[in-house]
Amino acid sequence: MKKIFSVVRREFVERVRTRAFLISTLLLPVFMVAVFLLPILMSGTSRTSRVAIVDGSSAAVGAQIAGMLQQERLGDKPAAEPRYSVQVFPATEGQLAAVRDGLVAKTGFGRGHQAEQWTGVLVLTDATLASGKLAYYGGNVGGLEAMSKLQRTLSRALATWRLGKSGVDPQLVARATAPADLQTIKVEDGKLAGQSGEQSFMLAYAMGFILYIAVLIYGQQTMTSVVEEKNSRIMEVLASSLTPFQMLLGKVLGVGAAGLAQMAIWGGSAVLLSSQRGPLGMLFGMNPSTLQSLPIPSMSASVLVVFLLYFLLGFLLYGALYAAIGAMCNSIQETQQYALFVTMFILVGFFAMFSVIRDPNSTLGMAMSLVPFFAPFVMPVRWSMTTVPPLELAISLGLMVVGLLACTWLAGRIYRTGILMYGKKPSWREVWRWIRA
Amino acid sequence: MTSPSVRITTVTKRFSGHVAVNRLSLEVFAGGIFGLLGPNGAGKSTTIRLIMGILEPDEGSISLFGLPDGSRKLSARIGYLPEERGLYKKMQVLDHLVFLGETKGISRHDARIRARAWLERLGIADWAQKKVEDLSKGMQQKVQFAGALLHEPELVILDEPFSGLDPVNAQVMKDIVVAIAAEGRTVLFSTHVMEQAERMCDHIAIIARGATVVSGAVAQVKADFGGRHVALGFTHDKERATAILADRTLVASIDDYGASAQLQLAEGADPQALLAALVHERVGLRHFELVEPSLQSIFIAKVGADAAVARAEVSA
Repeated sequence: MKKIFSVVRREFVERVRTRAFLISTLLLPVFMVAVFLLPILMSGTSRTSRVAIVDGSSAAVGAQIAGMLQQERLGDKPAAEPRYSVQVFPATEGQLAAVRDGLVAKTGFGRGHQAEQWTGVLVLTDATLASGKLAYYGGNVGGLEAMSKLQRTLSRALATWRLGKSGVDPQLVARATAPADLQTIKVEDGKLAGQSGEQSFMLAYAMGFILYIAVLIYGQQTMTSVVEEKNSRIMEVLASSLTPFQMLLGKVLGVGAAGLAQMAIWGGSAVLLSSQRGPLGMLFGMNPSTLQSLPIPSMSASVLVVFLLYFLLGFLLYGALYAAIGAMCNSIQETQQYALFVTMFILVGFFAMFSVIRDPNSTLGMAMSLVPFFAPFVMPVRWSMTTVPPLELAISLGLMVVGLLACTWLAGRIYRTGILMYGKKPSWREVWRWIRA
Repeated sequence: MTSPSVRITTVTKRFSGHVAVNRLSLEVFAGGIFGLLGPNGAGKSTTIRLIMGILEPDEGSISLFGLPDGSRKLSARIGYLPEERGLYKKMQVLDHLVFLGETKGISRHDARIRARAWLERLGIADWAQKKVEDLSKGMQQKVQFAGALLHEPELVILDEPFSGLDPVNAQVMKDIVVAIAAEGRTVLFSTHVMEQAERMCDHIAIIARGATVVSGAVAQVKADFGGRHVALGFTHDKERATAILADRTLVASIDDYGASAQLQLAEGADPQALLAALVHERVGLRHFELVEPSLQSIFIAKVGADAAVARAEVSA
């Protein structure tokens, strides 16, 4: 026991002392902040689109559509910039193609030539009014959000026009088609959790992401450090005084402790930053109210406990597997093809998380939170987003522990033989023999 | 003390068809310096790894201090310097030694004190706070040597301890090894340099192709081999001696170095008769001495040309 502790301490201290640890500790929060802030900064700088409407319809519906487009704003406030600046070009059926092509020729350039260029060209015909079919030519058609906004506005405009033609009061139409404003509030055990749906989504997403990154990075670090020990031939000295199991456990725990320490630093600074975000935002010349409205989630104690439990179990499980792979190989390059199998499990778990975020109570989500390889990614997310029955959590944790023991046993068997094997890399059949031996 | 420190009983170890150690038996008694000698590929390192429990024997048994426990349980009583030297490159020298001490079960505090003392003794105290990778190869070897001895083990096992050292450092290491033995502790070391073993060891085992060729106290090994060896030094007319040296009634075997030769007298041959014959033929002699056989000559006589093929032999 004392020896395992020495190995853990060495592993932890030597890891935390490295420059790589310092840099990654500092850089990830910067990266995360950038990921959070960039969309806000970018949306603040989005501009009014210049849209040309080629009106080939006999009912001259272009002006009406232009009017509705011009009412759209870039933000929620009435004082915000208009989303579109629109100009209508009436055209007869014969001229239509020529007018359209003339305008299209001036479309789709960069931002430099704003004044005389068009962001997009909308073409209306009589068919538009009958079937709803119309064409939009633009350089920004890949922007999904911009296109869906445009489509929504156009649908509303067409509906208003059609209803108006049937004699319905346009005021009534406007009131009738006003969009629903849905506010989501999470409920936990019959009580309000003080989280909006958006916050709980952000929290789940952030947790899943951190688990994925941490397990992948620290798992792989375990693997490379075993390979390094093999290459530096220190393994033989260690093997003469420590059992392979002590070495394996010490290494995985030591690397895991370094990982936890790093996350504690990140978590601590995140709490500090979010509590001080007002004054900090001012430093960067940002409006404090914008920052206060940022959906920075608060984490309840139970979510934190579940998160840490699954991180620990998940990391130990994957760490042991990665260590076993390190023991099988002689160089970092060699590890890649074996590591792929383990990395696959992590990836499947990570991608399953996205579908679980969308529907936390799905059968897929429930099934995956029972598989030890995927539970660490799926379960904390479900726990934060929905109400998971305690029994289900207990079963999941139980299976997790069983899976962990099985993987550690397996890794220990491979480790025992692998660490002192040099030269050619083993075939799967040989590895199987090591396990059975 | 009744039970030997190391007892190897008819141990066999195979590696994918190649027999590295073949029904080897060996006993190392407490106290003194034991030399494990043999050519490259004879199975010295494999034998040591078997003793250390790093490899498991396919057949036979190994016991340490007369106990059935493996060497890992007894690791607090054993110090080990493997042939392949290895340290954590990024660790500081002192931290590394403390860690090695801890893995042997001594406390951090003690380990620190002893590590400093060892670094002082080996003349590398100034390097205590440097990273291992900043040290020269020789210094790294000293650090590892200290790591193997830090916990004051009663059995010290050194695999090729002097290889790769300059003469000055080899001398420092040799003095330490001798000092350990003088304290009543046991040293077992392997080498392929016979002269070194001859000067340091009181017991030896020569192995070739995984099997013991000869073993025992050095004096006994030499006595058993026969003391009738003659060292010759020539000044001129060496070719006149050719016929005499080829005479199998006088000379059993010859180790010819050109200007000198070491030869073993044939059974019942009289050294005086050899000298008389050489003088009679007017061979220019600078040196004629009756000597006890060197381990080198015993080694060559016992192992002979077989040693050369020891490495290449792989059974199908």
